[in-house]
Amino acid sequence: MLSGIAQGAIYALVALSMTVVYRATTIVNFGHGDMVMAGAFVAYLLVVLQGLPFLPAAIAAVALLFVLGVAIQRGLIEPIKAGPHIGFAMMSIAVGYVLRGIARAGWGREVLPMPRVFDIPPIFVGDLILTGDAIAVIGVVAAFLIAFFVVFHWTRIGQVIQAVYQSERGAALVGINVSAFHSVMWGVGAAMAAIAGVLLAPITLLYPDLGANFLIRGFAAMTLGGFGSLGGAIAGGLLLGIAEQLLGFYVTTKLIDIAAYLVIIAVLILRPVGLFGKAAIVRV
Amino acid sequence: MVTDPSARSLPTRLAADTRLFYLLPVLALFVPLLTNPYTQFVVNLMLVYVLVAVGFNIVIGNLGQLAFANTAFFGIGAYATGLLMADAGLPFWAALIPGGAMGALAGFLASVTALRGIRLYYLAIVTLAFGELMRWIYVHADVITRGTDGLPVPMATVFGLALDSEVKKFYVFLAIATVVVKGTSNLLRSRVGRAIVAIKDNEFATASLGIPTARYIVLAFVWSGFVVGIAGGMFAVLIGRVVPDSFGLIELIFHFAMVMVGGFGSLAGSVLGAIVLTAVPEYFRSFPGLEEMFFGALLVLVLLFLPKGLASFFARYLPLFRQRFYRE
Repeated sequence: MLSGIAQGAIYALVALSMTVVYRATTIVNFGHGDMVMAGAFVAYLLVVLQGLPFLPAAIAAVALLFVLGVAIQRGLIEPIKAGPHIGFAMMSIAVGYVLRGIARAGWGREVLPMPRVFDIPPIFVGDLILTGDAIAVIGVVAAFLIAFFVVFHWTRIGQVIQAVYQSERGAALVGINVSAFHSVMWGVGAAMAAIAGVLLAPITLLYPDLGANFLIRGFAAMTLGGFGSLGGAIAGGLLLGIAEQLLGFYVTTKLIDIAAYLVIIAVLILRPVGLFGKAAIVRV
Repeated sequence: MVTDPSARSLPTRLAADTRLFYLLPVLALFVPLLTNPYTQFVVNLMLVYVLVAVGFNIVIGNLGQLAFANTAFFGIGAYATGLLMADAGLPFWAALIPGGAMGALAGFLASVTALRGIRLYYLAIVTLAFGELMRWIYVHADVITRGTDGLPVPMATVFGLALDSEVKKFYVFLAIATVVVKGTSNLLRSRVGRAIVAIKDNEFATASLGIPTARYIVLAFVWSGFVVGIAGGMFAVLIGRVVPDSFGLIELIFHFAMVMVGGFGSLAGSVLGAIVLTAVPEYFRSFPGLEEMFFGALLVLVLLFLPKGLASFFARYLPLFRQRFYRE
C-alpha cells in the first residue's frame, strides 16, 4: 500500500508536469516519458561517473532539463506554431525518440543500477514497514506539491499562469509575454519530469526505454483525474499507483503492467472527462 | 449543360500521367536480377512496409485522426495469419485473408472509440493503450501465441508452390502489394475517398452536406486495419517467427516516421517513405541508438522544413506526385 503511494507519487508528478505543459500550451508532450528518463540518466551520470554527491547532481539534472525544455520550445515548437496541431504531437514524439537514441548509444542494452541514496532505516508502525525509499519519495513529492500550489495560488507568477490558462489573447492584451511564458512552462514541465526521474534513479533500475512506462502511466493518471485538471492529475497518479499495488497483491502481478492501459480505456469509454474534469474541455 | 473545358482537361491530363505508376510493379519484376538473398529480404520487407504505411496513412493522413493502433493491426494480422498456418494448417493465401479481416475488425473497434467522441489526444492515448494491451496479450496468452518465445510460422505455400526462397516470396508479395495499393488508390479517388478527406477538413460541414460521416469514418478505419493486417500476415511469413516485441512502441514510431517522411495523406508518399525508411536502418544495425537518433532527427527536420513530406517535395517538380482526389 505504502509503496503504492510512493509509486503513485511519482506518477502524480509526471502527470502534473504533463498537465502543466498541456494547460499552458495545449500541447500534449508525447516525449515526456523520455524527459523523465533523461533526468534519471543525467543524475546517474553525475553521481556514478563524476562522483558528485546526490543532491548537487539532482539539482544539476533538474536545471539541465529546464534548459532543454526551453530550448525545445524555442527551437522546435515555436517555428511550427502556425502549422496544424498534429505537428506538435509529432515533434514531441520525435524529440523523445532522439533522447532515447542518445541514451541507448551511451549505454546500449545494459540495465544500470544506481547506489541507494535515501539511506533511512525502515520505520515499523504496527504491521506496517515504511521503507526509507518510500518515505523519501513521498516526502519530496509532497513538499514539491505544496510549493507548487502555493506559487500557483498566492503569488504573482501564479496569477500570470492562471491568466494565460484562461485566455491567451486576454493575457497578451494585459502585457504578458505569452511566447516567453510558453518557453518557461516547457522548461518547468521538463524540470518536473527530471525531478521524477531523479527520485526514480536510486530506487529502480535504469534503461533507455523506461520513459514509455511513465508516459503511459502519466496519461492514465491524467485521464483518470480529468485531462487538464491539476488536482486531478495528482489524485489520478496516487490512485493509479495504489491500484497497481493492490491488483498485483490480491489478483496477479501480471496485471501491474497493464493496469494503466485498462484504466485509460475504461475511463475514456465510461467517463471521458475523468473524475475531476470539466465537460467544457473541447475535444474536437 | 455547362461545358467548361478547363474543368474537364485537368483530370484528363493527370489521368494520362498517372498511368506511369503502372510501370512501377512491372519494373519491380526485374529487381531480383540485382539482389542477393539478403538484399532481396530487405526488398521484401519494403513491400510489407509499403502496405503498413499506406494503411496507416488512410487514418492518420486522409482521415486526419490521431489513431496509433497501427501496430495493433499489424500484430493482429501477423498472429492471425501465423496461427491459422501453424495450427489450422491453412495455406498462405487462405490464412492471409482472415488475417486482414482480423485487422479490419480491430480497425472497427478503434473507429468505435473515435465515434464516441474520443478524438485528438484522447484517441491517441486510447489507441496507444490498445496497442500495448495487445502486446501484453501476445505475451501472456502463451497457450495460444507461444508467448515471448515467438510463434514459428511454417513455410508458406501458394497453390502448392512452396515459397522457399526470398525471390519466390518477392513475386507473391509484389502481386499482393500491387493489388492492395491499387485498391486503396481507387478507394481514395472515389466518393468514399473524397468524403474521408472532407471529414478531415471539416467534419460538421461534411455532415451538413448530407454525407454520413460516421459510416465513412468506420470505413476508413476498417480499410486501414485490413491493409495493415494483410501486411502483418506477410510479415509473419517473411520473418518466419512472430514475436510480441515486434509490435511495440518502437515499431509504432517506425510506422509513423514512414508516413510522415513520405507525406500525410499522400499514397505515393507512403510508398516512397516505406521504401526509403526500410532501407536506412539496415545500415545502423551495429550501432545501438543510432537508428533512433536518426529517425528522431529526420522527423524533426521534416516537420521544420518539409511538413508535407517527401511527396510534396517531388510534387513540386513531378506532376505525377500531385494529389489527384482533391485540390488544395
